[in-house]
Amino acid sequence: MSNSVISVISRFLEEYTTKTSNKLKVVDAYLFYILLTGALQFLYCLLVGTFPFNSFLAGFILCVGAFILGVCLRIQINPDNKGDFLSISQERAFADFLLAHTVLHLVVINFIG
Amino acid sequence: GLDPGSLFSLVLLTVALGAQALTPSHHLSLSDVARLQALLSQPFTDLASAYYSIVGLSKLGASVADENIPVSNETRDILLAAVSEDSTVTQIFRAVSALSSLGLPLASQEVVGALVARIAKEDNVLAITTALQTATRLSQQADFGGILEEIEDLAARLDDLGGVYLQFEEGLEATALFVTAAYTLSDHVDTEPPLKEDQVIQLVNSVFSKKSWQSLSEAFSVACAAAALSNNRFQVPVIVSAQGPATVSHNQPILQLLVTDVLSNPLASASVVVESAQAVVSKNVILTQAPFSLRDGIFELNFMTSQPASGYYQFSVAITGDTRLVASQVELKVKVSTEVAITNMDLSVVDKDQSIGTKTSRLGRKAHDSHQNFAMTFQLVDVNTGVELTPHQTFVRLHNHKTGQEVVFVAEPDSKNLYKFELDIAERKSEFDSMSGTYTLHLIVGDATLENPILWNVADIVLKFLDEEAPAAIQSKTLYMPKPDIQHLFREPEKKPPTVVSNAFTALVLSPFLLLLILWFKLGANISNFSLSPSAVLFHVGHACMLGLMYVYWTHLNMFQTLKYLAIIGSLTFLAGNRMLAQKAVKRIAAEQSSRLAKYRSLR
Repeated sequence: MSNSVISVISRFLEEYTTKTSNKLKVVDAYLFYILLTGALQFLYCLLVGTFPFNSFLAGFILCVGAFILGVCLRIQINPDNKGDFLSISQERAFADFLLAHTVLHLVVINFIG
Repeated sequence: GLDPGSLFSLVLLTVALGAQALTPSHHLSLSDVARLQALLSQPFTDLASAYYSIVGLSKLGASVADENIPVSNETRDILLAAVSEDSTVTQIFRAVSALSSLGLPLASQEVVGALVARIAKEDNVLAITTALQTATRLSQQADFGGILEEIEDLAARLDDLGGVYLQFEEGLEATALFVTAAYTLSDHVDTEPPLKEDQVIQLVNSVFSKKSWQSLSEAFSVACAAAALSNNRFQVPVIVSAQGPATVSHNQPILQLLVTDVLSNPLASASVVVESAQAVVSKNVILTQAPFSLRDGIFELNFMTSQPASGYYQFSVAITGDTRLVASQVELKVKVSTEVAITNMDLSVVDKDQSIGTKTSRLGRKAHDSHQNFAMTFQLVDVNTGVELTPHQTFVRLHNHKTGQEVVFVAEPDSKNLYKFELDIAERKSEFDSMSGTYTLHLIVGDATLENPILWNVADIVLKFLDEEAPAAIQSKTLYMPKPDIQHLFREPEKKPPTVVSNAFTALVLSPFLLLLILWFKLGANISNFSLSPSAVLFHVGHACMLGLMYVYWTHLNMFQTLKYLAIIGSLTFLAGNRMLAQKAVKRIAAEQSSRLAKYRSLR
């Protein structure tokens, strides 16, 4: 059982490192960073308490939102998905990403208190 | 005539306005009549007061000194000339009154014509009332058609106050004068006045509700109205009230009623009958169609012969004998009271462990402690009939002489009307403040229908409480002292975690950024493709400004200001970014095309 899990994981890692383009890996690194930040905020909340609850929510939601927008960007710029996004060029995807982030930041900063 | 010197205190019964007809709630009692006469008997200061006094007193039936006044021809001509359309109604009235009082002839039809014309011009209450009064002095052969309908018109102008009073907004005097004029004129022309029974009663209430009169003219108007209402040919309101309290008992079995007119003159010709007497609680009808007998001007009925149980009874009384009577159906509440006796009193001490009484003993000192219950049973019976009673108040009071403490309990009857009181000393020790000592026990029995309420010191009992606390001051002493001040507690700020922890976690949360930079470096991400075109520069500067604006928003600004700046910076950044990305897109497509071309060529 564990054998097959390990083999699946190693196969996945191998394919990932070889087949994925650099651009996507850059985005993946960014996503990983966002994930870590969110997880650490949540850990703080669990350990120390929710004292400025609105601040915690603001930070956490920013991480979640950024992660989602990052995933959207990754999907849209992946050349394998070109067929699904015929009308959206890579630049357009990036511009959408930036605009959505602006709105997200505005809301989060409002809420952070 | 009436004797003004006799003062008779009458209790005015306010009869409830039930579903039945309205009954008068005010009239002139004998003391009121006396007061009215006294006011009118004051010595005259001018002609007006002379007129009021003389006429008023004569209306009330008191005797007045005779006045004889000689008249000259000129006076008579002046008076006759006053009777015309050009004089006011008051002038016409005075002229006509003078002429008729002096016995001089006058043309009634002319007067009627003048009055009708004046009423059209002077359309107020007092003028029309005066016109009615004038008409009463005229010959009965005149045609009063135009005047009579004014009574009904005026009655329509009366204000109904709560369904109880009917009066003109001009006040009591106007209302009383109207009543007088209406009845006097109706009698004069022998036509029933167009007033309904309810209206008559409401007028009675209005006119006689005031018992002290401010001016001679007001007193005069009330006296006239009283005379008119007690003695006219069509409508005589009846006043029914009980003589003394409306209570009968074994010692006083006779219910006495006073049936009078508004001047408190007894109506001797009336016959008074109880149509039904119904018990309020049980709704049993005890009596129907029982007549009252007349004795010395008072109507009497021996109610106890019907052997009613104690309690309240609703009497429906009808007065007949005269077709003129108004408000002749009356509702009365009569109380039958009795005396109570306590029988079968039993005191016992019951051990808690056993449920049966250890011994039954009579009065004396009893000592009890927490292991025992004290029990008392008794019955309350009606002395006269032997029926068991359940009075409203049956209390057992325990009083400690030394500390002044008093505890009161209620004894309740069971289904067989046997009263039981049980005192569980251990359970009730908080009410006694655990104070041991001698307590006097009183039994209190009371009710509205009992003539002999009972306060009986049944016994003295000694109570011993275990774990007696130090005698605390009786609570009632501290109950009315100022209470301790309450300080306002401001909302305490929530506890913050220690700064070390916060700082540590801040560093921890920022650390993934380092990791990101490392990863990007490892992946070979670079900015070598960065073109220094103006749009690119502007875009990046604008974007950096937007992020800076976010920080400033957090620290200084509010949403509206931020949106304003964001709009400016954002639109610049957007335009620059659009340009930059378009340029990049062009470059990318060109690169793709050339690589495709190269691939195609290599394939060939």
